Formats: sequence, C-alpha cells, structure tokens
Amino acid sequence: MNEATTLLRCEGLSVRFGGLTALNGLDLRLHEGEILGLIGPNGSGKTTFFNALTGLYRAASGRVWFAGAEITGLRPQAIYDAGMARTFQRSRLCLPLSVFDNLMIGNHRRLSLGLWFNLFRRSRFAQELQRHVERARVLLAAFHPHLPERMFEPAGALGMIDRRRVEVCRALISEPRLLLLDEPSAGMTHDETRELMDDILATRGRLPGLSIILIEHEMGVIERVSERCVVLNFGEKICEGPFAAVVADPQVQEAYLGVSG
Amino acid sequence: MNALASQRAVLWPAFAATAAIAGFAYLFLRVEAQWEVVALTAGALVALLALGRTRLGAALGAAWSARPAPLAWGALLAASVVVALFAEDHFALLMIATVLLYGVACLGLTIQFGYAGVVNFSGAAFFGVGGYTAAVLATHTALPHLLVVAAGGVLAGAIGSLLVLPLLRTRGHYAALITVAFAILFKTFLEVNDALGGPQGLKVPGMRMLGWSFNDNIALGENTELSFYLSYAVFSLLLLAGALLLVRRLERSWLGLSLDAVRIDETAASVFGFEVARWKILAFTLGNVLAGTAGAVYAMMTGFVAPASFTLAESLILVSIVILGGLGNPVGVLAATALVVVLPEKLQVIQEYRFLLFSGFVILVLLFRPEGLLPRKLRQYLPGWGRA
Amino acid sequence: MDVSLLGQYVLNGLMLGTIYAMVAVGFTLFFGVLDVIKFSHGDVLMVGAFTGLVAYLGLSALGVQSNALLSLGVMLTAVPLIALLGAAMARWLVLPLRGSPPINVLLITLMAGTVLREAIRLFYPAGANPKPFPRLLPTDAVSFGALTLRFDSAILIALGLASIVAVHLLVTRTRLGLAIRAVAQDSETAQVMGMNFQRVVLVTFAIGSALAALAGVTAGLYYNEINFGMGLLLGVIGFSAAVVGGLGNLYGAILGGFLFAGLQTLGAVWFAVPAYKDVFAFAVVILVMTWRPTGLIAEQQAERV
Repeated sequence: MNEATTLLRCEGLSVRFGGLTALNGLDLRLHEGEILGLIGPNGSGKTTFFNALTGLYRAASGRVWFAGAEITGLRPQAIYDAGMARTFQRSRLCLPLSVFDNLMIGNHRRLSLGLWFNLFRRSRFAQELQRHVERARVLLAAFHPHLPERMFEPAGALGMIDRRRVEVCRALISEPRLLLLDEPSAGMTHDETRELMDDILATRGRLPGLSIILIEHEMGVIERVSERCVVLNFGEKICEGPFAAVVADPQVQEAYLGVSG
Repeated sequence: MNALASQRAVLWPAFAATAAIAGFAYLFLRVEAQWEVVALTAGALVALLALGRTRLGAALGAAWSARPAPLAWGALLAASVVVALFAEDHFALLMIATVLLYGVACLGLTIQFGYAGVVNFSGAAFFGVGGYTAAVLATHTALPHLLVVAAGGVLAGAIGSLLVLPLLRTRGHYAALITVAFAILFKTFLEVNDALGGPQGLKVPGMRMLGWSFNDNIALGENTELSFYLSYAVFSLLLLAGALLLVRRLERSWLGLSLDAVRIDETAASVFGFEVARWKILAFTLGNVLAGTAGAVYAMMTGFVAPASFTLAESLILVSIVILGGLGNPVGVLAATALVVVLPEKLQVIQEYRFLLFSGFVILVLLFRPEGLLPRKLRQYLPGWGRA
Repeated sequence: MDVSLLGQYVLNGLMLGTIYAMVAVGFTLFFGVLDVIKFSHGDVLMVGAFTGLVAYLGLSALGVQSNALLSLGVMLTAVPLIALLGAAMARWLVLPLRGSPPINVLLITLMAGTVLREAIRLFYPAGANPKPFPRLLPTDAVSFGALTLRFDSAILIALGLASIVAVHLLVTRTRLGLAIRAVAQDSETAQVMGMNFQRVVLVTFAIGSALAALAGVTAGLYYNEINFGMGLLLGVIGFSAAVVGGLGNLYGAILGGFLFAGLQTLGAVWFAVPAYKDVFAFAVVILVMTWRPTGLIAEQQAERV
C-alpha cells in the first residue's frame, strides 16, 4: 500500500438527501491500474458514490483525494479535467447527435473552444477536426471493427450494445486516469456483456495505468474482471477483498438474501 | 477529374432550385387575386414537405453539403434579383425587408432555443430594445448610423445580461417564467415611461450612411424612381447574409457541439467538463444581439417604435416561427418567417384571423411533426462531411 | 396615508390575492400530476367568465330575475362546462405530448390559449370590446370606523377561499386526492398499483379548470367588466404565483398568490404612476426566482442520475 501508487482515496465520505443518508462514512482506496468491483443491493449507495466522486452531489462530510490532489467539493468540470470519466446507468448519450459528436463531447478537454478560432480560423479548425476524426476512428475500431463506419450516424440509430460501446468510448477518448462504469450490463444479454467487457479489458491493455471502478449486478462479470471488490449496503461498506472472499462473507450473503453469485 | 465533373453536375439541380424559389417569391409578392395566393401557398407547403421525401430533396441536400460556397453566392444573387425586380414597389420591398429582419431576429432565437435550449419568450422585447436605442441615439446624437444599429444590438445583449443570472439559476419552467415576466415588464415599462414616449412611442429618423439618406426615393433617369425601401432591403439582405453565415459557422464548430451538449443533457455535459453557464450566456447574448440589431434597422425603416409592437404576443409569434421552421434549422426558420410575415399581408381574408390560424398551425405541428416543417440535419462540420 | 385608504388597499389586495391564488392552485395541481405547465389556464379562466356571462344573458331572457338564482345559474353553468373544457384540453393536447420535451407542452397550451382568446375576440358578438358583467351580489356595506366593507367583496373573498379550502381537502382527505397525490409522487408506480392514470389526470385538469372558471366569474362580478384579453395577464400572474411559491405545492400557490397581490398593492402605494405596480411586481418575481430558483417552498427533488 504505497502512497505513491494510490490514485483515489476517500475518507469518511457521506452523502445525505434531507433526512436520508445515502452514503455513510465510506473509506476507500484505489491503486493506480486497479480494477475495483463495487457491488451491493439496489439502493445501497453505489451510484450515489459515483455521483459524489464526479461532483454531481455534494458530500455532506468526508474528503476525497484523486491523483495526488484533494478534489472534495470541486465542480464536475474540474473533476473531469483532473482525469475522471464515467458512464451512466441509464445511458445518457445525446441520441439526436452523431456518434462522432458524442465522442467529441467526451473529448471536451482537447477541443479548442475559442470564439475566434471556431468562427474565423476555419482551415485550422479543419486540421484539428481531422486529427480528432482519426482518434475517434481508432478508438471505435478497437471496440468493434464496424463501429467507425457508423461514426456519422445519429447515436439513436444504433442498437443497445453499440450505444454502450459508444458510451464507454466517450468516457475513454479523453484518456482518463479513472473510468467509472455504472452497470454497463444493464439491458444487455450475457453474451453482449461479455463482449463489451472483453473490449474494455483490451482497451485497458493499451492504456496501462487506467484504473476502473465497476458497478455491476452480474456477479460473473465482477468475478472475471475485478481484482478487488467493495460491498455496500445501506450506504456503508460491509466488506472488502477479493471476489471469492467477499461472496463467502456471511454479512454479504445476508445483504443479498442468499442470492449472491 | 471525374470526381470534379460529378461534383459540378450535382450543383445544377441546386442552382435550379434556388432559381425556382426566387421565382416563387417573385410570383407570390406579385399576385393579387386571393385564390392565387391560396394556390401558391398550398403548392409551396406541399413542395416543402414532398422535398423531404424524394430523391430530389436528398440530392439538393447533398449538393449544399458538398459545395456550399457557390450555392450560397447563387442564393444571394437570386435574392438580389428578386429585390431588384421590385425596385419601384414600396409595399413589396417593405415586406421583403421585414421578412429579412425578422429572419435575423429568429436566427437569434434559434441560437438560444434551438441550439442552447434557452427558451426566450421576450424576443420581441429585445427587438424593441434595438428599436428604442435607434430612436434615442439617432434623434439625440450625431453617432454614425451604422454604429447606432450596432448599439441597438449591443444594448439588447447588455439588457439581456440582466436576465442571465436568474436564467442560469433556474431551469425549465422556472426559466420560461423569467422571460415571460420580462416581456410583460418591458412592455408595461415602455407604456408608463414618458421619456420614451409612453404608449405613443417615439419617432425614429431614417437611416443615413456615408451621406446617403435611406429615406429618399432614388431617381433614375427622368421617369423612373426607385423606392426608398430598396436601400433598406439591400441593407437587410446583407445583414441577414451575415447572420446566416455566423449561425452556420457557429453550428458547424465545437461551439455548436457545446451548445447541443448543454441543451440535450446539462448533467452529462457538466460531467464531461462543459461550462454550462458559459454556453448559455454565449447563446443568450448572441441571440439578443441579433434581435436588437434587426430591431434597430426595422425601427429606422418604419420610422416609429411603440410598446404595442413588442408585446408577449409578438414574442410568441417569433417563438412559433422558430418551431414551425424546424428547431435549429436556419433555412427552415427563414421559410417559416416568410410564411408568417407575408401570408397575412397577401391574404386579406386571414389578416384578421392570423393569430388564430398560426396558433392552430403550431398546435398541429407540435402534435404531428414536432421537429418542424424542415427538420434539422446532423451537423456538417465541413463541406462534404460525413462520408466516412 | 389615512386609514380608510389603507383599508381599501388591503381589501383590494385580499380580493386580488384570492383570485390569483385560485389560478395558481390550478397551475400547481397540473404540475403536480403531470410535471407540465398549462399556459392556457388564464384563457380558460376568461372563457369561464364569458360562459358565465352567456348563462346570465340566457337566464335573463328566460325571465329569471332573482339575483341569487342568476348567480347560482352563472356558477352552475360556467364551472362544469369549463371543467369539461379543461379535461378535453388535457386529453387531446397535453397527454399526447407525454414523452416529448416538457417545453412543448408549455408551447402547445400557450398556442391553445391564443386560440381561445382569438376565438372569443373574433366570434363572440363584438368580442373585441370589453363586456359589462352584471352586478349580481348585494353591494350594501358595513363600516368599521373608517373602513367600509362591501358585501359583494366579502362574499367573493369568502367564496374564493372556501373553494381553495375545498380543493385542498379534496386532495388531502379523499380517495381521489390520494390517487392524485400518488400519481404526482410517482406515476409509474401508481399505474402499477392499478390507478387509472389517464382518469386521474383528466379529473385533476377538470378540478383546476373549474377553479379557474370560478375565478373568472369572480373577476367579472368584482370588476363588472370582462374582456377577451383578461386571461393573459391573470394567467401569467397565476403562473408567477405558483412558481414563486414553489411548483407542485398547494400552500406555495396560495402564498404566491397573496404575495403577488401584496407586491402589486405595495407598488401602487409607492409609485406615483400606478402602472408601475406591475413592473415592480414582475421585477420582484425575477429577483425571488434568482434567490430561490425553485420557489419559496422548494420543490423536493434530487435529480436522478
């Protein structure tokens, strides 16, 4: 547990809505390059944790450090700039926009957003655009060879699994240091989920140092992918460790009412 | 070689379509008989809707996307020809200039509502800010009139910034109320403010530029006299061309992408680093500047401004135009502007019923074709974009 | 300022506040069940006032002379008819747009409001002119020192407040109210639990519109004049009141209604030019919205991400 390799550290992180405590004093540490599975029954605070990390919810108490700096209370924009990107449980692609546009939304950090540049330096804009088209093409192709062909179609024209792929690409294109995946298997078949996971793992092979926190109900996915698991219940961490140890834990089994993987 | 030839080949239908639209505009402005107006309107609507479904429509779209520059010059030329054909006709030119200026204002609303999703129910108020600015500055100062027009836009943008903070803090219906309240507040304020002429409003001097007075008819030879509205129509055409270029480039850049991202999903946009406030401010201000600029020219053309022209109902007409045409599609917005401005003038029967008819029409559009008559297409960053 | 004038201001403010609150309650009910703004609400109110006027003219033509009977007839015609109108608009304009952006519902009802307004202006005989509304309530007055209270004002304020209380009881104490609140809380779950979603929505719109009809008749009886455009401003004010109070909250709507009337009254007292009262009131609305972006009694809602 060398401090230098710690990418993310939370201490006593709590989130409250009115009287309801959605996350209660969570301590968590993530190493550079690690894949952490986050599991727990519905409503146990997993997505709330993501929302607090990415700055959408304000923590009631506790502190968060990311990549060597404290990010407690920062705005979502600043946290994205620090190198954190996510997907959403219910897909939040911009369906009327093209696949390329959606990727560029994730690529925000690299876009030149000056008024003068965009309106009047059109040839330099075209050069920049060309570079991003190439990057988008390479990333999409890594997920599926046919995806680049559909780059200029509306995201809404894609099927479920392709939308998921695009959403993961949108989070990856900015080359974040931490990727938060919120239930990528939702609404997909077993095979589709496995395909997507393979793609993600392959991508990680090419981006060494990328860390992932994965929320997932499919225990098979968690078992295969995660190096370590954290189990939440009622907003509190009840168990932590390798998958096999975690599912054997009586507290965890009780939380899942005996339906653990 | 071959590629070039084929590109050239696809341009001709598009040039022909431009000429046909110009010819239609000429006919429409020229005809008097009511049944002819009805027939032309019905024909145009059918053609417009059919174009979206036929191969010709796709071919035209492809041509515009592949080679926009020559086609845009062609369109400007065609519009100039129509203006020139009516050089002696006060009424037709007034209508043309009105369409062009309302078009500029509606392009402003398109940036706000169509791109950034900031609904503005006080568009007419910002149009009015431009008009009143022109009235005061042109009457009481010796400022060159080009600057007066610019000041109209700048002041509209500045007054709009009073609403920026409340608009940023609120969302959805709450934000809609802010602009509704402002529209009523603005009109009432004008009515009770004696310095600005109260309900009677103010007179606005005609435009002068480089010693050229816009309000004098232009004598050509001995017995030809061109309407003074010709100057305004040409000026408005240039203004609209500029606004169109601005909106096009805005949409086809990272700016347009940012506005879309903010409109479609504010939360997701903020998670990917978009400064939601910055983009809303940009869109709202830019839109109001366009509305104010158009309002200043319009006021100088008609010679007076009064509160009754800048009511909530007028603002609703502007919003209707933006929806009817197709949210976020500048070309559709211009078509809808022409329809909404010219039709009641030409079709005397409906003059009295125009609010009723347009409202009913917008209801039908919202129920059955919410994307508008000419729906917006995917973003085309560059000519020929999207053939992967 | 002398006491009697002050008293007049207060009474007038109470009357206005009651009318505004009645309108605002409608807005907040609709928003509660469907998360929509029905912008035509003010124009529905205006149609209610005209329906009342037509009922009066019809009954008079039939020879009814008793003011009490006439008042009753006016109310009993306007309220159910307008309730039907409200339900019909919900059925054919609002419900079909479920699933499209919420601003579209605001726009379509805005346009529907314009249609109603223009229809009255164009098709009611000489509809563009203001119409006298009969004085049906007793105008005797009692004096409390310098303050005079006219019976008609008292009756109208009492009737308005009673109708608001009735709606409040209906929503909080009855099975129907339970269904409305269930749909407002979570329409999906309510449907799963067997509530007829469409019926609940239609009934809610009927109730809100009935209240608007009553408000329209009240305005007519109070000012003794109605016109086709009266609904626009009343609608915007009712909307403001509901929003300032906090959309979806019944108490907020009532609070907002009286607050707006209070602001107008203050504006009228403070400014030499009385018309500045609206400028003042709307400026304060914008400021309040800046300060509390979801109204004074805030909408309880954490965004689902």
